[in-house]
Amino acid sequence: MAGLVELREVSRVYDGGAHTVALDAVTLEIERGEFTAVMGPSGSGKSTLLNLVAGLDRPTSGRVIVDGQELTRASETELARYRRSRVGFVFQFFNLLSNLTVLENVLVPAELAGVKPAEAKQRALALLSELEIEGHVKAFPANLSGGQRQRVAIARALVNRPALVLADEPTGALDSHAGDQVMEMLDELNSRGQTILLVTHDPKLATRHGRRVVTLRDGRVVDDTHLAAKRATRPADLIKLRAEEA
Amino acid sequence: MSLRFGILGLLADQPLHGYQIKQVFAEMLGGTWDLNIGSVYQVLQRLERDGLVEPVGERGARGRQSYRATRAGVSALAEWLEESESEPQLLREEVYIKLLLLARHADGKVDQLLDRQRGVYLQRLRDLADQERVARERGREELALLFKGGQLHTEADLKWLDVCAEEIRRRK
Repeated sequence: MAGLVELREVSRVYDGGAHTVALDAVTLEIERGEFTAVMGPSGSGKSTLLNLVAGLDRPTSGRVIVDGQELTRASETELARYRRSRVGFVFQFFNLLSNLTVLENVLVPAELAGVKPAEAKQRALALLSELEIEGHVKAFPANLSGGQRQRVAIARALVNRPALVLADEPTGALDSHAGDQVMEMLDELNSRGQTILLVTHDPKLATRHGRRVVTLRDGRVVDDTHLAAKRATRPADLIKLRAEEA
Repeated sequence: MSLRFGILGLLADQPLHGYQIKQVFAEMLGGTWDLNIGSVYQVLQRLERDGLVEPVGERGARGRQSYRATRAGVSALAEWLEESESEPQLLREEVYIKLLLLARHADGKVDQLLDRQRGVYLQRLRDLADQERVARERGREELALLFKGGQLHTEADLKWLDVCAEEIRRRK
């Protein structure tokens, strides 16, 4: 069976004055249910990769296939439908609509995707309760903490039951405690089968939560490491405190 | 860290015999140092010779003798605890040697060495984070800090790989 996400020889070249190769013939396959972290410094091509998988951008050459749909051949209308229903987005700065309540924010993608209002509301409330934010359904984003806002954003990302959740530096604007909580929620979702693609510059985040870490540099995949979840590691295999013994 | 002051530090708290020292020491370090019982006895002997520890009570079962720190031992320990560490940094990992050797050959596959090493460091980062979490769950906050230190060092190692890769690419 083919992976959920397939990139075949994907290149993206920007020609605005300087000729910039953002992605250089990247081939990558992501299986259903995987928690993959794409890591790299700024300018490595990770945002470009995310935008291509999100259907927000088209490659200069190569093919991008997600959940059986070839995005590179899709019309603008098909791409818009894909973005609304097949992928969920979690951003660094939450991107919630400030004039809508928590519940309304979560409902927006469902309405756009044509989910019946009663069904949409039921899903939204179930998600908000699962993310432990049901006490704030009528609140406005401005009255929530960063961690709470990000949880609303996760509920919004999930309301259309996407095949893939794309998380772009989801803890970048949070303190470490709120960041840990958000990442634990993504872990929990993944343990129930949700495929997650995390983009981050932070190796701690990538290795703690990803099962697989893909490192990009200058638009190329330079490393693809599958991490062992729990190795029977002895502390002495990791750290050795040693000096002269006498 | 020297075993001499590690053991002296334990004996300043309470009298212990050789085998107990090994156990308490291993527990304190959370298994990051495999301590040889032979070295414990050797260090005890030298500490006693230098007047820093002394035997307490009679020999017990299997000839076990407990020791405690003397007054001189306690002040030597206090002095050691106040010293700053100025030892040279330990860069023992073989990757450094491999890098130096590969760089001597025109066709040396340095970038492949770096990429393989990256995978190892990523796994280590994850394992150290696991150990830190386990230590915290057990209420061993100071041990958690040891694993935290390991993670920060590993992050520096990852950065170093990036710097090497960058420099090699520029030379090409």
